[in-house]
Amino acid sequence: MDNGPNEQQRRGIRRTTILLALVALAIYVAFIASGVIKSQH
Amino acid sequence: MSATATHVAGAAHDHHDDHGPAKGIMRWLTTTNHKDIGTMYLVFSLLMFLLGGAMALVIRAELFMPGMQIVDPGTFNTLTTVHALIMVFGAVMPATVGLANWMIPMQIGAPDMALPRMNNFSFWLLVAAFSLLILSLFMPGGGPAAGWTLYPPLVLQTGDALPLAIFAIHLAGASSIMGSINIIVTIMNLRAPGMTLLKMPLFVWTWLITAYLLIAVMPVFAGAVTMLLTDHFFHTTFFAAAGGGDPVLYQHVFWFFGHPEVYIMILPAFGIVSEIIPTFSRKPLFGYDSMVYATASIAFLSFIVWAHHMFTVGMPLAGEMFFMLSTMLIAVPTGVKVFNWTATMWKGSLSFEPPMLFALAFLFLFTIGGFSGLMMAIAPVDFQYHDTYFIVAHFHYVLVPGAVFAIIAGVYYWLPKWTGHMYDMKLAKAHFWASAIFVNVLFFPQHFLGLAGMPRRIPDYSTQFADWNMVSSIGGFGFGLSQLLFVYLIWKCVRGGAQASARVWDDAKTEGLEWTVPSPAPYHTFEEAPVVK
Repeated sequence: MDNGPNEQQRRGIRRTTILLALVALAIYVAFIASGVIKSQH
Repeated sequence: MSATATHVAGAAHDHHDDHGPAKGIMRWLTTTNHKDIGTMYLVFSLLMFLLGGAMALVIRAELFMPGMQIVDPGTFNTLTTVHALIMVFGAVMPATVGLANWMIPMQIGAPDMALPRMNNFSFWLLVAAFSLLILSLFMPGGGPAAGWTLYPPLVLQTGDALPLAIFAIHLAGASSIMGSINIIVTIMNLRAPGMTLLKMPLFVWTWLITAYLLIAVMPVFAGAVTMLLTDHFFHTTFFAAAGGGDPVLYQHVFWFFGHPEVYIMILPAFGIVSEIIPTFSRKPLFGYDSMVYATASIAFLSFIVWAHHMFTVGMPLAGEMFFMLSTMLIAVPTGVKVFNWTATMWKGSLSFEPPMLFALAFLFLFTIGGFSGLMMAIAPVDFQYHDTYFIVAHFHYVLVPGAVFAIIAGVYYWLPKWTGHMYDMKLAKAHFWASAIFVNVLFFPQHFLGLAGMPRRIPDYSTQFADWNMVSSIGGFGFGLSQLLFVYLIWKCVRGGAQASARVWDDAKTEGLEWTVPSPAPYHTFEEAPVVK
């Protein structure tokens, strides 16, 4: 399409996507880790 | 919303007819077009509404009178569990995602979603998830039957269906997270020139906040069910007291996800209603900025109220006080919204087309659900209401005449833009009146049943509850049947009808970029960015 994202927008999309995916992954790991810690005490 | 397009070059797209959709099944399997994917989400959610609704009708048929009539208790438990999972994750959420896919790029002046291939993948992952969940019903030992909250230790007694159901939840969660990432990056990166954040339509705002909520809490639910899975198959003891674990931990983790989940379903509904009421009041939305801040406040508060679902589990008095008061605080931003919708209508030139009728019903009936929520926020009183039909009445008022009515209102509002055809107004109004009457016949008596002490999730009950259960079931059958009108109306509108204009609601006050493109919206919109001032 003619109005595809420009280079700056592409960079923004890439950065935001990676950041949000990492946040989601970190929350997943953190909650399981909290379960591990809780079950050891 | 104050955005007006001054230039929408390329809206007609005559030079791009060769970029139309592929033919046949491959169009739907491989499409990366936001409109196609939005349509698929909406059709999928409609199918799930019908499936989950059919399960609800079996439940209401069983509860029509005391005694066991139609299903055995195990099947009843499975039906209540899977009905909820289907309605929450398969019907309401995908319907709002479908609306987001259709409308967000058009409302912000973007050519498509920022990550179109991931968009396609998110949808088909959801189909895989619900195929697994439905397959789990046929596993040895029966389907999941511990309630949608999947509390251990009860849920760990599930047979072979457990891993399938948990895998289904993981897939649906992954689909939601990918969808949310897509929505956020689209809104943050692909807005048309001049479309500042505070010029975005309220539907876009509510979805932006919803998407952040989803990214924050879906991994929490995924973590909780992962721990259930390892407890069941790998002998961990996260939730098993005998091994040093704590079953109450699951409840905390679940409701840390579960309460924001309620707002994930209702915030986009707020956005839809905030689009419709100004249109048919012929006035700008009252207090646009305060609506945005109220939405953000509700989202923030949703993270600090989770244990109001657990008052009867037992907690220190300070904890009860905190969760009681923080829950009551939610009434403030919600009240701001209800006030603003009412003030938008004040001295407006109102007309009552089907989208407005459903939006008005939402306003009244969602508020009833909100008020009963406030009642339950009072910790000592909640001990009386907990696990009774009062709770069932409360959350169904929030979700059915709340979220579902807003979704229906949104479909009636934008359907002519999608199909290019006007639909049968008389039939749509008949659908509204049947739905509005029967939904109250269905759910209002459940308040009385709950206050009289009828527990939820039981297939049989004492004869003292017989009368209101019969009324509720009649309402259920009426509500279910009236939705067939909706299905027929959509089918008829897709096939043909009077030509809709670009503005669709010509004599109303339609604002926003979606009304600047022809109806039906071209396959590719905004190949040249519109300029918003």
